[in-house]
Amino acid sequence: MLFKLAFRNIFRQRRRSLLTGLSMTGGFVLCTFSFSITQGSYGNAIEFFTLDHTGHIQIHWEDYEQRPKIYKTIADRDAVESILEKSDEVKAYAPRVFAPALAYAGNQTSPVSVIGIDAELEPTTSRIKQKVRSGEYFNEALTRNGFAKAMIGAGVANRLNIGLGDEIVLISQGADGSIANDIFEVVALVGTKDSYDRSSVYLPLVAAQEFISVGDQVHEYAMLVDHANSSEVIAASLQLQLDGVTPGATVSPWQVVEEAFYKSMQADLQGNYFAMAIIVFLVCIGVLNTVLMSVLERTKEFGVLRAIGSRPAQVFKLIFVETMLMATLSIALGYLLLIPLLTFLTQVGFVLPEPMEMGGVPFLHLKGGVNALVLTAPALIIYAFAALVTILPGIRAVSITPKTAMSSH
Amino acid sequence: MEPVIETRNVCRYFGEDETRVAALDHVSVQIERGEFTAVIGPSGSGKTTLLHLIGGLDNPSSGEVFLSGTNIAEMSGTELSDFRRDHIGFIFQAYNLIPVLSAEENIEYIMLLQGVPANKRHERVREMLNLVGLEGLGDRRPAHLSGGQQQRVAVARAMASNPDIILADEPTANLDSATGVALLDIMRQLNEELEMTFVFSTHAQKIMDRARRLVYLEDGKVERDESK
Ligand SMILES: Nc1ncnc2c1ncn2[C@@H]1O[C@H](COP(=O)(O)OP(=O)(O)OP(=O)(O)O)[C@@H](O)[C@H]1O
Ligand SMILES: [Mg+2]
Repeated sequence: MLFKLAFRNIFRQRRRSLLTGLSMTGGFVLCTFSFSITQGSYGNAIEFFTLDHTGHIQIHWEDYEQRPKIYKTIADRDAVESILEKSDEVKAYAPRVFAPALAYAGNQTSPVSVIGIDAELEPTTSRIKQKVRSGEYFNEALTRNGFAKAMIGAGVANRLNIGLGDEIVLISQGADGSIANDIFEVVALVGTKDSYDRSSVYLPLVAAQEFISVGDQVHEYAMLVDHANSSEVIAASLQLQLDGVTPGATVSPWQVVEEAFYKSMQADLQGNYFAMAIIVFLVCIGVLNTVLMSVLERTKEFGVLRAIGSRPAQVFKLIFVETMLMATLSIALGYLLLIPLLTFLTQVGFVLPEPMEMGGVPFLHLKGGVNALVLTAPALIIYAFAALVTILPGIRAVSITPKTAMSSH
Repeated sequence: MEPVIETRNVCRYFGEDETRVAALDHVSVQIERGEFTAVIGPSGSGKTTLLHLIGGLDNPSSGEVFLSGTNIAEMSGTELSDFRRDHIGFIFQAYNLIPVLSAEENIEYIMLLQGVPANKRHERVREMLNLVGLEGLGDRRPAHLSGGQQQRVAVARAMASNPDIILADEPTANLDSATGVALLDIMRQLNEELEMTFVFSTHAQKIMDRARRLVYLEDGKVERDESK
């Protein structure tokens, strides 16, 4: 009966309720829409770099992530790998070593970063195989000329003016302080001049380990997990397990690995929430006006309800239910409108006239994202504000004295 | 037996100092169970004020009001709400039905507040509609009922909670004289057959003729109090 009463009261002033309801629907749709776009574009950005090179979670030795040194290798690979193998969450992992080096070819030199990757495991964790532009994805075997294989970034190829089949000399320092120095043969070109690894030289893991004298140890494990959204939680749980067997191993989710990006994303999202709050606030002023008016118009009716024995709380509840019902109807309509809108946004999206950059990752295509947060947060915000907005008219209604009912006009 | 309502030396003032008006001036009345009483007197004599006080809608400036033996000054706001809900029925001059509820729902609403189970409520709604002669009109909204019919719904609503007393401030003032008299006949019948206690105020001679006790107010004082 309370709902029946509330429902009918809403439809008493059809036009006013309709306008108020539609403004709530509009605010809701707008919020969800913009939320979906930010979530979508950040989702794309995150997917881009996690799959390109960072993975969802990384493991290093101690503070290697902040202050990389060749000698900071992960001590007990077996312990780490057995934990990664056992974990239900970890989908794939790949070991890596890194070293800065100077590359020579002909009379050209260029600083490069050497990345040693496990030829078998790396493609399960990053898109390295898809990034091969020409030549063939490498393996540990030596070339016909007896050299270890190397894949080079577009920038390296350009600066050294070399291509497939050419030799490249790398000079670096080994973990033991010795001079590292060897010849490799280019078997593949990787990525474009904009790629993260444009200045990288990929070597097969064992060849790289020998080159920098780290034995069979590695600097990094990158991994993908089944639920990327829970990277932080999974990282924390891995950290706990590792602390038990090989203290010193440090687990970092992508939020830590890509801290700068993550922070700018957080700041941007906060700005987004703020903009949403303003939209909702404006809508709510309209709602406040409507509810207040409907209370003032019904002063006598509330007086009657009080006189015949409704408690103040029951009168308040009636107004609360009316507003919430109106919010619910508006939001329901909003969801109906959002079905085609979000379908378009996530499946088709907009083509941007100018590429947009987000945390260093360029975007040509703007697509929306849909997740539990996108679908619930705006509705919850509307509800929260609507609840807030009933307080004033509610108090007003409660303060109407039952005597009002007796007045004859 | 204790009276349903008793006022002891009740005064009710409005305004401050020089502009102070004594709407009620040392009024002591007792309403016994089963009475059918009219409060009469000229305009401004304090009839509405008295009904407010004995209905627990207002507090006296001095003196005491006892509802079923309890001093209303000792009741909290919620207790007073609940007391009105369970013990007092109201009929208003302007009918004051909830416009968005049908006649039936208006009658049912107060039982809902009381927490009466649904099947009992529906049964009693039908019973009440029969009592006031509105069988078949239960699903109409107030706007689709005549003034007399609306006021009969109001009587049914007041009866529905099975109160100790029904208070009516000029229940017939908005009705033409024949309709008003017909309404009074229904009230009187409920009084005689179900021993429902009624206190109402009126200006109309034909209406006060039907009362069995007349409390005559003038300038906030009880001038005469006679039973027939
Ligand atoms: N809220 C109020 N504020 C100030 N004065 C009031 C108020 N209510 C009543 N009064 C005064 O109290 C006196 C009694 O008023 P009351 O309404 O009880 O008279 P009444 O007998 O019901 O009159 P009527 O026949 O016109 O309905 C009047 O002088 C009135 O002006
Ligand atoms: Mg009056």
